[in-house]
Parts: sequence; C-alpha cells; structure tokens
Amino acid sequence: MAPILPFSTAPRHGTRGTPNKMKRMHERLEEHGNGRGPRSVLRAVEAPELLVLERLSKVYRDPMTLRPFTAVGEVSLALERGEIFGLLGPNGAGKTTTIKMILGLSRPTSGTVRLEGKDPWDFAARRRLGYLPENPCFYDHLTASEYLELTGALFGIDKNECRTRSAELLQRLGLESHAAKALRKFSKGMTQRLGLAQALLNRPSLLVLDEPMSGLDPIGRAEVKQLLREEKGRGATVLLSSHVLAETETLCDRVGILNAGRLIEVGSVPGLLASGVREWEISVDRLPPRLADSLRAGGHATTRVGSRWVVLVSDGPALQEVLRSMLAESAFIHAVEPRRRTLEEHFVAALSRPVPAPEEPR
Amino acid sequence: MNRVVAIARNTLREVARERVALILALFGAGLVGVSLVVSPLALGEGRKVVTDFGLAGASALATLLAIVLGSSLLHKELDRRTILAVMAKPIRRSEFLLGKYAGLWTSAAALLAGMVAITVALLAATSRDVPWEASGALLLSMAELLIVTAVVIFFSSFTTPLLTAFFCASTLLAGHFAEDLHYFGTHGASPLLAAATEAVYWLLPHLEVFNARGLVVHGEAVGPERLAFAGAYAALYAGALLAAGAAIFERRDFR
Amino acid sequence: MSLSAIPARWRVLAPFLAAAVLLAAAGAFQAALWPRIGRAPGEELLYFPSGLFARQASIGYETAAADVAWLRGIQYYGEHRLTDQKYVRIGHVMSVVTDLDPRFLAPYVFGAFVLAQELHRPDDGLALLEKGRRANPDSWLLAFETGFLHYVCRHDYESASRYFVRAARLPGHPEYVDRFAAFASQRAGNRGMAVLLWKRVLATGNQYMQEVARRELARLDAEERAR
Repeated sequence: MAPILPFSTAPRHGTRGTPNKMKRMHERLEEHGNGRGPRSVLRAVEAPELLVLERLSKVYRDPMTLRPFTAVGEVSLALERGEIFGLLGPNGAGKTTTIKMILGLSRPTSGTVRLEGKDPWDFAARRRLGYLPENPCFYDHLTASEYLELTGALFGIDKNECRTRSAELLQRLGLESHAAKALRKFSKGMTQRLGLAQALLNRPSLLVLDEPMSGLDPIGRAEVKQLLREEKGRGATVLLSSHVLAETETLCDRVGILNAGRLIEVGSVPGLLASGVREWEISVDRLPPRLADSLRAGGHATTRVGSRWVVLVSDGPALQEVLRSMLAESAFIHAVEPRRRTLEEHFVAALSRPVPAPEEPR
Repeated sequence: MNRVVAIARNTLREVARERVALILALFGAGLVGVSLVVSPLALGEGRKVVTDFGLAGASALATLLAIVLGSSLLHKELDRRTILAVMAKPIRRSEFLLGKYAGLWTSAAALLAGMVAITVALLAATSRDVPWEASGALLLSMAELLIVTAVVIFFSSFTTPLLTAFFCASTLLAGHFAEDLHYFGTHGASPLLAAATEAVYWLLPHLEVFNARGLVVHGEAVGPERLAFAGAYAALYAGALLAAGAAIFERRDFR
Repeated sequence: MSLSAIPARWRVLAPFLAAAVLLAAAGAFQAALWPRIGRAPGEELLYFPSGLFARQASIGYETAAADVAWLRGIQYYGEHRLTDQKYVRIGHVMSVVTDLDPRFLAPYVFGAFVLAQELHRPDDGLALLEKGRRANPDSWLLAFETGFLHYVCRHDYESASRYFVRAARLPGHPEYVDRFAAFASQRAGNRGMAVLLWKRVLATGNQYMQEVARRELARLDAEERAR
C-alpha cells in the first residue's frame, strides 16, 4: 500500500531551483515514506538541508479536562539553502507554533527539528538565525540603536562592527533619523522595520519571519520584498508566514499550506497553480435571460455586473460552445480573458478539502 | 558571560527608567530628611535616630524595590512577548535568567548604597563623626539582597506577579521568624510536626544573619568573620534558588 | 438651567471647588467632634504593644522601632509635663523601647528617673535599671544611675556607694564617677573605700578636683587620728 504522506511528492510543473535537486529531494522523501527511516535520508544527502522538520508535532492538554489538542500534527518539511518558503494557513492553523518549535521557543511533543544539523534547543544553533516575531514588541525603554546594540551583544558581534552594521541596517530600512528615538514612540510600521533590522544584524543563513508585511504601507511592503530578494541573492534562506497571499505569490519559491496543524500541500507557486483548472472570463452585453439560465444550468457561473454579464467557463471545449451560443443570440461580446487561478483561490479551495484525521496522541 | 552582562545592563536600564524606582529613591531621601528634623526631639539621641532610620529605611526600600519591580520583571517579558526576539538569539535560558537577576540586584543595591551614603554624609556633616561602621551594615544588607532577589526571580520563573510578590513577602517574613519557628516546632509534642518544622527551618533563608543594624547603631563594627560567613551563605542560598529557577524556566514554552 | 449656559471656566473649576468645600466641612466636623469622642487621657498608649509583640512585628528593624517608641514616649512625657504631670504609662513605654533595643541606654535612665522622681516609685525605677544592667553589664552609666537613685531617692548610702564603686571600676567612666563614689563611701561610713577613691581622683582629676581630693583626704585622715 502506498504510504500516505501529508503532501504529494509528484514533481510539479515549472519547479523552481535545479530540477535534479528537487527530483532528488522528492525521491528521498518517498524513501522515507517507504519505511527506510530518517537515518537513510540524512546519509543519502551530500550537503545537509538548512532546515529539516521530521514528523513535528505539538499537542497541548487542557489543564482542567486533560483533553488533548493538536496544534501541529506530524509536519515534515525540508528547506533548501537559498529559497524563499512561504508558510500559509488560516488563523489557528499552527504556523506560529511550528515557527516557535523551529526556534527553540516551544518544545515539540514529538518529532525533530534540525537547524543546519543541530537541535535548536542547543543555543549555538541559533547563531545563524534571524527572527521577526508576529506583531513584534521590543524593549520600549531603549532606543533603536540601543536595542540593536543589545542584539549585537547577544550574538557576540564586536562592538564596532555592530555599530557599523546597525547604522547600515537602519539606513536601509529608513530608520536612520529615528536611531536615537525611544521605541515606545515608534509607530507599528517603524517597529516592524526595526524588527527586520534586528533579524538581519547577524547576516543570518536562515531568516524566519512571522507576518513580515504587517503594519507596512504598500511602499514599505515593496521595500521589504526587495530586501528579501536581496537576502536570497546573498544566499540566505527565508521562511515566512503570511496572510497576504498576493505578496507571497510573487515572492516565494515554494509554499506550504497548513490547516488545522497538518501540512496539506507543499510545492512551488507556479506548480500549485498550474494544477488548478484554468478559467475564462467572458464579459458580454445583451445576454438574453433564457441563455443566462441555460448557461447556469450548464454549470457556468453567470452573474450580472451593472449593465454587463460576466460568465465563467472552466474548460476549453465548453468555451467554444458557449461563445457560439452567445453569438447565435446576438449577444455583444466585450472580452474573453483567461483567468489564472490566484494563490488565494487555490488556498481557499485547499482549505475546504477535509484534513486527514490526526493520530490519537498517546 | 557577555550575554549575561548584556541582559543585566538592559534590566538595570529598565528598572532605572521605571517611575517606581525614582519614587522609592525620593522617599528614601525624604525619610533621612525627616529623621534629621525629628532628631532634636529625641532628647539627645538624635544621632541614633538618624542612623537607625537611615539604615532601616535603606534596607526596607531596597527590599521593596526588589520585590515590587522584580515580581513583574519576567512576566512583563512573557506578556508583551519581548522575550521572543531575545530567546531566539544564541542565549541560554539560564543566562537570560541570570542576567535579569544581576540587573535587579544591582538596581536594589544601588538604591541601598545611595541611601546609606546620604545617611553617613548627613551624620558626618552634623556631628563631625563619620560612622564608618555603617559600611559593615551596608555589606550585610547587600548580601541579604542577594537572597531577596534570588527569591523573587525563583518565584517569577513560574508564577504571576501578584503571587510572586506574595510568596516573596511570606518567605522573607518567615525567614525572620525562622529561629522562633524552629524553637516552637521542635519543642512541640508531635514528632511529625517537629520533623516538618525542621525541614522548613533549613529551607527558609535565615535573614537575621544579615541584621547588624543593632551593632552599628551602638558604634560597633561588623567583624570580618561574620561578613565572610554571611556572604558565603548568601551566595550559596541564592545559587541554589537560581539553579532551581533556571531548571523551571528551561522547561517553559513561550506561547 | 442647562449646563451649556454656564461658562466653560466654571464648569471646569466646579468639581475642584466642590471638593474643597466638602473637605473643609469634613475638617470642621472633625474639629467639633474630636474633643467629645476623642481618647480619654487615660486611654492613650493603652494599646501600645507589648515588647514581645513589638519585637516580633519589627522583623529586623528593631532598633528603628525602638527609636519610634522612644520618640512617642518623650512626646507623651512632654504633653503631660505641660498638663497634669501624670506619667502613668511611662514605665510601660520605656520597657517596650528597651525590649526592642536592650542596648539603648537612654530609656533605662530616663524611665527610671521619671518613675522614681516624678511617680515616686523608686523600686520600679530600680527594676528598670536592673533590667538594663543585665543586658549591658559593662555599662558604667547604668551602674552610676542606680547608685544615684539609691542615694537621692532612698537615701541608702550603703547601696549607693556600692553601685558608684562598681561604676568607677567599669571602663569608659568619666572622672566625676570617682568623686561620687568617694563621697558616697564617706557618707556610708566606708572610710577605706573613700580614701582609695580620693587618691584616684588626686591622680586623675584636674587641678580643682585635686584640691578637693587633697582636702577630703586630709579630713579623713584627721577623723581617723581623732578616733
């Protein structure tokens, strides 16, 4: 019987990154599924992946009733160096919990996390890590420079080097004129930028960002996207969790969708979207009601938008038939646009699928 | 060690910028001022009154600072999630806790030393006789603060600010009554009670060891033997509490 | 009349004015009522805690608590000195002060003095001094004051001389203690002790003291030869 993995291992169309590398990774994960165990996976690897999660779980117990609640269930994931990975999911899906387990802020109930081969609870593993929490809050009795100085001291960065690097980052993030301002006077957007600065101070090899776009205006978001691409160019790996799917779509190389603690899909963005059905949107005038009803009966969404009708057709052959019927009725066709499914639509569709039942924790 | 120092410096900055610290410092200065005003009414014992109020006030206020600010120190970090960005850095949990402890102790000790300095200066100015013995009482009080701060940090590693303050106050109070408790417990009828009392006696901090105000006020210096013994006791007891606190803190999940 | 008709300035000030008026009224009631229901003279300090309780409650700050009690006691004495010259509670208060800080000498002395001279209870005064001497065996002052009480209040020159001599043997005593010891010994008929003490005054006293000492020694010598 084929093993049931929480995500499909079929190669995706238009997979980014070296095809051979990705193919190898998929093969290795299939081997794992075949019961050969984690050791064979790691031994087969030439260079370790930057971040490997293996059947990571977090189960909370209600202190009163002792009923278990699975926040994260058997999540397995591997991040390659130099990729931007988006962790998506609705509120309460377990994104932040997963991230906390990756950072050594929360202990997994079962499963392992390996950060460059090390356990994140080993504090030395966090030397090459940069982290921006969701809705970050920093010591508001300090100024921006003082906070970066503290961060530098925790990383063991030389004082002079830290000063130079802080100035560079503050300038890059548009905070140079606020360096001496107390953090309690910072706006949400400014705090978010400072959060990025402290995450980048040690030139991390893994950047973990929880909602990095939150609190930023469109210009700010564009700047952050540019910054993340630059970091990727430097060779850093980025793991970001976001609700802003439109941004994630254009930024991430791969995404993973979490729902109710399970990783239901992983793949490159074009790959995931290509597996979705293409749609065509027909914008038409003077559509007879009779034809509108018949189109609806045929399964094509037909809606009135002002004086115009919009008809959605989901497959190629049907499109020809629909267009012919409209022309026959002398309807005025304004436009026929192929609609690529957005990530958001794919996301919503994925979430509506039933989640595989979690194993009962012992 | 650098990481511990960084956290300690940050804690010190945080406490110093708190209004409570300023209020306590002003209160302390006021207390010494009031004792000066009141001293002529003491029928010739004015010097004793100023010394007593100065030393007692310094110790009480420093302890109050440690408990009031210390009890919410960790909880504030967890509540406002400022701890997340810090603990994701390459720092051990025990180092973080130790840094908090060091920062808190330094702030309380600074308040203590400041008040004692003011008292000594006032006495020197008014009676032209510098009570050097006060330095012994100061050192003992600083050693006492090592324990007080450790108790605060220990409780705050696993409970809320209110309960932390309550448990601290209770422990310190019981610590002062340790000898009496021991006496009454071991002279009681039931051997079970005696055993329980004995256990509690050895667990509690014996804070009378650090009280040399009675000596200093009557012009006697604190012996180096006593200072050494008290210092060693404080270091060991505080060390035990911090180790326990660190072990508890290590297991905590940050929600 | 609607609120908006009142000028803004008054609307802001009104609550503060109301508070001030209410406070003044409360103060007036307090002033009128207190003499009627305030503590009767005998009641004050009735609930002054016992020494043991006070000691326990002071948790490490006994000497400061002793000072507070001392100041209270002096205030009590001062108030009564100006009114009825009745110091009923002074013994208790000084006892509490000394329970809190047994090495605080002034309360023993002051308390004993008031008990003996003002309340005419020299035995209570002596008991307080005795308590002090037990806690401070090396205190010349307490021994001296005991002798003084015996001399002045009980006219017991024998005991007075004994205590003065004891004080004269303790370290740190001023030179007048020797003179008191000498005089008391003479008065008690203890010639030998008197001679010894006057010889000490001769050795340690100033010019005037030495003159007095020489004179007294001469007188004692004459008395001896006359016998």
